[in-house]
Amino acid sequence: MSTFREHKSIVDRSAADRVRHKKKIEKAIKESIKDVIADESIIGQNGKKKIRIPVKGIKEYRFVYGNNEKNQRVGAAGKHNIRRGQKINQKRVQKGHSAGPGNEDGEEKYDVEITLEELAEYLFADLELPELEKKRFRYLSADGLRQKGYRLEGIRPRLSKKETLKRKIRRKKKAIAAGIRDSDSNERFPFHKDDLKYHYMKPKPKKSTAAVVFFLMDVSGSMTTEKKYIARSYFFLLYQFLRHKYDKIEVVFVSHTVHAKRVTEDEFFKRISVGGTMMSSALETEIEVISKEYHPDSWNIYTFYAGDGENWADDNEKTINLLNALKDNNQMVVYAEINERRTHPEEEGAVLDWTNPSFVAWENENPESIWTLCVPLVDNRFKRVLLTKAAQIWPVFKKIFGAKE
Amino acid sequence: MTDWSIAELDSWDSKICEVAANFGLNWFNIDYEIIDYHEMLSAMSYTGLPTHYRHWSFGKAYERSHTLYNAGATGLPYEMIINSNPSISYLMAENQMYIHILTMAHCVGHSDFFKNNRMFANTSPELIIPKFKAAARYVKELIEDPSVGIEEVETIIDACHSIKYQIPRYPGIKRLSHDRLKQLYAERILDDKSGQYDDFNLDKVPLERDYNVMAFISEHGRNLNEWQRNLVSIVEESSHYFVPQALTKIMNEGWAVLMHEKIVKELNLPDKYHIPFVKLHNQVVRAQLGQVNPYHLGYRMFKKIEECHGFEACLLAREVHNDITFLRSYLDEEMCHDLNLFSFSYKKSKDHISVDETSDNEGWEKVRDSLIKTVGLNSIPVIYVEEMQKDHTLVLRHEHDGRDLDMRYAKKVFEYIQELWGDEVKLFTVLEGDLWEF
Repeated sequence: MSTFREHKSIVDRSAADRVRHKKKIEKAIKESIKDVIADESIIGQNGKKKIRIPVKGIKEYRFVYGNNEKNQRVGAAGKHNIRRGQKINQKRVQKGHSAGPGNEDGEEKYDVEITLEELAEYLFADLELPELEKKRFRYLSADGLRQKGYRLEGIRPRLSKKETLKRKIRRKKKAIAAGIRDSDSNERFPFHKDDLKYHYMKPKPKKSTAAVVFFLMDVSGSMTTEKKYIARSYFFLLYQFLRHKYDKIEVVFVSHTVHAKRVTEDEFFKRISVGGTMMSSALETEIEVISKEYHPDSWNIYTFYAGDGENWADDNEKTINLLNALKDNNQMVVYAEINERRTHPEEEGAVLDWTNPSFVAWENENPESIWTLCVPLVDNRFKRVLLTKAAQIWPVFKKIFGAKE
Repeated sequence: MTDWSIAELDSWDSKICEVAANFGLNWFNIDYEIIDYHEMLSAMSYTGLPTHYRHWSFGKAYERSHTLYNAGATGLPYEMIINSNPSISYLMAENQMYIHILTMAHCVGHSDFFKNNRMFANTSPELIIPKFKAAARYVKELIEDPSVGIEEVETIIDACHSIKYQIPRYPGIKRLSHDRLKQLYAERILDDKSGQYDDFNLDKVPLERDYNVMAFISEHGRNLNEWQRNLVSIVEESSHYFVPQALTKIMNEGWAVLMHEKIVKELNLPDKYHIPFVKLHNQVVRAQLGQVNPYHLGYRMFKKIEECHGFEACLLAREVHNDITFLRSYLDEEMCHDLNLFSFSYKKSKDHISVDETSDNEGWEKVRDSLIKTVGLNSIPVIYVEEMQKDHTLVLRHEHDGRDLDMRYAKKVFEYIQELWGDEVKLFTVLEGDLWEF
């Protein structure tokens, strides 16, 4: 005789281990992100673009045999004709392989595929734009909720019949494909609890803060490919960050040589020009745009400049004055110098602190450079950063936005 | 949605038990836990054990089954049973009556197999649950201990899991400590008249090849503190539970399928149960193209034994064999041919998989041998402790049987072993015909 017991557990026994596993994945993604940032393929791509991130450390390694001629496996061919030397469709053999010890490994794929937007989400999770003051709000939106995507949990009235049905159909098709169900079977294929999908309602903020971000870049001939690459990565991250954090944000791209030009995002990242460098032209363009379109009382203004630090000497004084003027009505102005010839202070064991005006280890070499001349401006509203290689973008980023390590 | 009650389960169970007893089956009492689908997924992730120590890999297993199930790529198992006494089995509440009937009859088959098969002879089923419970509690305490914590615990368990199948493949033999073994050898040398022990070096560690890498590390590792050593032992002891199952997967499933078929036949199920039952049964024993379905293979073999030699012979076979000896004794040319078994491998030079042998007159024995080489633990490379040198260098060797290791994996495992051992580690294998040292 057997006994029967209805088991009503309150505790979800696997919950803790699932959380642990998830943490491992996220950690692995975060670790890989630094490599991905340095990878060119992310730049200028659509936010929906999928990126494969190799996730390390959550694979379970064991001694297994290599996949080669000596390691013969056995299968059943049923009624199919089979002869020696016949090529086999790899997928057919691997599909649904059993999970006994030993043969479950080797085929585990632990590349996680995420979109650029998700990548940005991971990347910027611990970053905040500083000093976003409460200002007059340009955008007033209707109160209440709005639909934003779907969730697996929700209340009955928000059930999305369409999404739920889609999931059921998908499950059914897979079941047929996996051979668990006959395609011509009339048997009911019931909905399952896990098919249910609900509309997700996101509270719509009554007011949203408005910010405008100016990306200024030197695209003159002295910007080498390598420098451009660093600049693009840097801006890309800033851009993704802002897009991710704020719904109502406007971005203005200004590229310059001796003349500045307001361009589209696409042009900004792709444009290659020849000519000299007059940084003031870009700043003037910005000031002009601000005065016409973005009144500082209504907008939080951020300015990010990137260049190689080579500016016409005649233009330096004007540039500094304009930077100073911008600083007054900006939340933050960041001057980034991309200069791979300079030794990075971090590599010399120095403390990485650009905000410290007394840090002059290498700036004495050229007292007439913007880098040196802007020192008096440096405070928590004006920052200058140095980028000598792509791998520094991330620490620089954290530094700008003051995130804790 | 459900079409059953506990009372009905009870009444069908009585009938099943009666029929099974008439067939001469002898099984442990079975405790059925009725659980929902989420609990079923959980139970699966912890290999069915109602208690198990915590580890993220079980969370990973859960997510994986959950994803697969939701994608419709897999059904949930109708049956899962633990080799304990009483046997513990799960019935999924969402299932219908006919599935429960199949499951219960199937579980009686498994429980009978556990109780009678030689591989399970020394597994102390009474102690399995308490053992796992104690292990789970110990691990929990370590995780909660502020001076240890989850990271430290995972470091050890991660490393141990990489070698969890590096244990002896014959179940139920107790490992002797080095001191005890030394004593035995000393006695043997004293009694030795033939001279075969003349050159025997009693100072060697280990005195004979040690196939239990975790136990060896736990016994001789000098860089582990007490709780770390205990953790290594916990993983090592848990691993032994899975050895007999891995050695008898084909037989065990085949036997359970054969028995559920025979039992249900005697039950005279009403049509509303019988028709879906037959369908489900056919699904279970379905041949899967390109793979060997253990349910199918085991069932067909037992079926054939019954045809040729009677049911008594089946009862005997289920007692004395394991998958290796079972296949060797009963997988004949006709069966290989019927199932159309073939061997295949990956051809590096051509970057494709192709058929090596088919089950014709010339090839079937090779196919059978390839199958035997890949069933259960045979698919896992054997690594043993050869020597611990004076400076505590651990020398491991791969027992090479023609199949080379996957070096990417081996390298990672090697690092794990280094982590556990703390002193120098050497690992020897053969790669493309040449001796290879890590």
